[in-house]
Amino acid sequence: MSSAVLTDSRWIARGADRSSFSRFLTWLAPWLALLALGVYAAFVCLYHGLNQTNMDNRFAFGLWIFLDLGIIALGAGAFFTGFLVYILKRAELQPILNTAVVMGFICYSGAVAILMIDVGQPLRAWFTFWHPNTHSMLTEVTFCISCYLLVLCLEYIPILLRNRQLRRLPSFLVFEHQLHKLVPVLAGIGTFLSFFHQGSLGGLYGVLRGRPFAFRHGFFIWPSTFFLFILSAIATGPSFLMLVTASVEKVTGKELVPQDVFRRLGFISGLLLAIYVAAKSIDTLIWLNFTSPAEGFAPWTYYIHKPFGTPVLFAEIVLFGLLPAFLLLYRKSAAHRGWLLGAATLACIGVLINRFVLTVQTLALPTLPFDDFLTYTPSWQEVASFGGVIAYGVIVYSLSYRYLPLFSQTKGESEHVSRG
Amino acid sequence: MFPGVDGFHWTAGHIIFLSLFFAVLLTIVATTISALLRTAHDFHSHHAIDLCWHADFDDLPVADRRCRHELAGRLISRTCDNAFDCRHCEKYSEFAVLPARGVAHDLGLNYSDDRLYHRGHTWVHPEEDGTVTIGLDEFADHLLGSPDSYTLPEIGDELDLNQTAWRIKRNRKEISVRAPLEGTVVAVGGPKQGWYVKLRPRLDLRDPKALRHLLRGPEVNRWLSHEIERLQLQLRAPGAAPTLADGGMLQPDLMGAMPQADWDTVLADTFLEA
Amino acid sequence: MSARYGMVIDLDRCTGCGACMLACAAENNVPSLPQASARTGLTPMLVRKISNGGEGSERREAFIPILCMHCEHETPCVHVCPQQAVEVDKATGIVMQMPQRCLGCRYCMTACPYHARYFNWWDPAWPKGMEKSLNPGVAVRMRGVVEKCNLCHARLHAAKEKAAAAGKREIDPADYIPACVEACPTAAIHFGNLADPRDPVSQQSHSPDAFRLLEHLDTQPKVYYKSKEPWVRALSEPNSGPSMEAKHV
Repeated sequence: MSSAVLTDSRWIARGADRSSFSRFLTWLAPWLALLALGVYAAFVCLYHGLNQTNMDNRFAFGLWIFLDLGIIALGAGAFFTGFLVYILKRAELQPILNTAVVMGFICYSGAVAILMIDVGQPLRAWFTFWHPNTHSMLTEVTFCISCYLLVLCLEYIPILLRNRQLRRLPSFLVFEHQLHKLVPVLAGIGTFLSFFHQGSLGGLYGVLRGRPFAFRHGFFIWPSTFFLFILSAIATGPSFLMLVTASVEKVTGKELVPQDVFRRLGFISGLLLAIYVAAKSIDTLIWLNFTSPAEGFAPWTYYIHKPFGTPVLFAEIVLFGLLPAFLLLYRKSAAHRGWLLGAATLACIGVLINRFVLTVQTLALPTLPFDDFLTYTPSWQEVASFGGVIAYGVIVYSLSYRYLPLFSQTKGESEHVSRG
Repeated sequence: MFPGVDGFHWTAGHIIFLSLFFAVLLTIVATTISALLRTAHDFHSHHAIDLCWHADFDDLPVADRRCRHELAGRLISRTCDNAFDCRHCEKYSEFAVLPARGVAHDLGLNYSDDRLYHRGHTWVHPEEDGTVTIGLDEFADHLLGSPDSYTLPEIGDELDLNQTAWRIKRNRKEISVRAPLEGTVVAVGGPKQGWYVKLRPRLDLRDPKALRHLLRGPEVNRWLSHEIERLQLQLRAPGAAPTLADGGMLQPDLMGAMPQADWDTVLADTFLEA
Repeated sequence: MSARYGMVIDLDRCTGCGACMLACAAENNVPSLPQASARTGLTPMLVRKISNGGEGSERREAFIPILCMHCEHETPCVHVCPQQAVEVDKATGIVMQMPQRCLGCRYCMTACPYHARYFNWWDPAWPKGMEKSLNPGVAVRMRGVVEKCNLCHARLHAAKEKAAAAGKREIDPADYIPACVEACPTAAIHFGNLADPRDPVSQQSHSPDAFRLLEHLDTQPKVYYKSKEPWVRALSEPNSGPSMEAKHV
């Protein structure tokens, strides 16, 4: 009888085989501790100000912006899967849709939370909506990310309302049903918004005339990084989705989605990555030979400061770009789960390197002739608050996995378990 | 930004950018409002109960969604795509004329030919005065034993098909029993009386469609034997005592006899919960 | 007629005394923050030491005051600010920072090639009693916003009021001189209207000795530097060599 007190089985979807409540709490405990530390670090930064970070007047963006750009790129799987399923009608990706929405929700809400600590006056965030500078890429980013987060919330609600207890309330279930019918509209809007802000995040750096390392020419008002960011995000989003699903399968010891979905995601990821690598190479050549010299900067000077030598450039484009693209597309390696996941990992690291180079290396390099190459090490407050976001993500995902039908579209899972 | 704010002036950029932004925002807001309005409308038009039942039905395991004609042996295999509502099934009459096949098993359960059965384990008995009597079938009775408590509808209440008709509590589990028929409650009974609710059906019983969706004849035997099979598998949980040892016969008061079994799942499967 | 205020700084005359930095801080209510480092302090005017990197008798040193260059063409910071907290005043050419509208996102700081923008990492503070000497004409900036040189905008304001009181439409150039210009003991910093061809500053900016930092970026700064030394004039090019070194004064 006492065991009945500490159980949450009433909240778990019928037939879903989940570990015991106490085991689940044991899994959550370290993450909750990390979240608590992160919240404390965030509080310290908000209360005492950004002097708690190791950023400074020249290294005005640091770890937070790098990781924001990184997780938003990896979170692109959400909108892109929605786009493929609802707009391009690729129904075979349906089983991964819910988990993609939850991933996207986590990535975007986490990024927005970090941005709110990163700005000096978070309470003035609404100023951007009241006095928007329509020439600024950051305005576009702010508008699109806040709208898209709204869309992700709306896409998350139907999943949330399918919880076993919540769905017992008829109004929730009917609202879920009605909202679900409108999800294709949201997927369309989400695709539009995501295309723009993934691009604008790249544009953020591409427009910096004063930073020749990042500055790029482009098309109309958008620098080339605008398009490269879109490409790299939609190329690695599916890879990241694949990695997350594979990790969940590993942790839970269940096959959650058909192998076919993995191969399909791998192919999409590989194809887009190949296009991206080609575009990125052309862009780099144009930049090295024309854009940068025109601004008076000899390209070799960017690579004389260790550790940011040409190996970083090579790693970004070849080792973590071309190689995974090949592995994902080559029939023999793509048929092997280990190679597929390995290649997906490389692709995700590649996009992170790209974001790192553009955010951190850009600021580290001197512009004035008498400036030094700068280094910066994040403070514990920066690292901890980011750790908090990771913990938040793991916790939200774990709760969603346990209590919501993340993979139920397949029907296979509940079938299996209630029979066995 | 807006007129009246210091230094404001319209530019082409503002117009393009803000029109796009507000178009997007309006679409998002309109989508949400539309979903809310449709929800309200569904409740207004009694459509909501149907939607909820359909959602629950879709989440039932495939094996529990067998077409009655499969149960009767008229078809090899067919999954119901009409949420058990044969009254609106286009295929019903096409299959109903086929001959029923298969042998009836001895299940050790009493089910009678003058009663009609709903998959939520209720029976319906048409009375001569045009009302119907509704009770729990023997399978459910065997599971529950004697309920700890129960909540019945009030006389005069309107019940909708598949909506909760009454609730039963046993061993701290609450069970919602689905109404097998729509109508007005004219009398209430209880476990002692052997029936729970008397309804005046919304459709006249002389209408051939009034009770068409309920199982009858050979269908009941096959359906119940599937249910017993399922129950056997579910109760064969590790650590549980050997069950139904006597060749698949149900013992009375299983919940009392096996408190440690996974009753959440069993009851949900039995009473068609999500 | 709109003005284009700018400067010509004669580096051959700059002794690196730092009077301009002090005058700037006093005029603009720049807080005194002992906890700040060279990388986190507020120095809208900053004198830096440069050398040609040579050894012994080959070594040459000079000082260079760095302030907001008030770029004219595609002003980097103006374009990037998401909420119009930075604007170029069309009437004066001054790049105006509005701290009261600033969100503190620091995007403008990453955009500025001259690193002439500063973030208020701390709450503003002054030693006890010193707050009594604050300039009442300049608002103190709060923690979490960006600030920079605005060519002593309060002084321009005062000059305009004086002109208005006298019934004149144009200010008397003698009434509007930024604090650093006024404080320089060697008169190395010249301030004037670049749009006025008769203005000596405008004329000096065309001198063969005059140059601007990072001219290739095409941001067209309105702060010019001047030197007879070729190695100093080479500062107009980026990457004049890794031998170049610099120190904060």
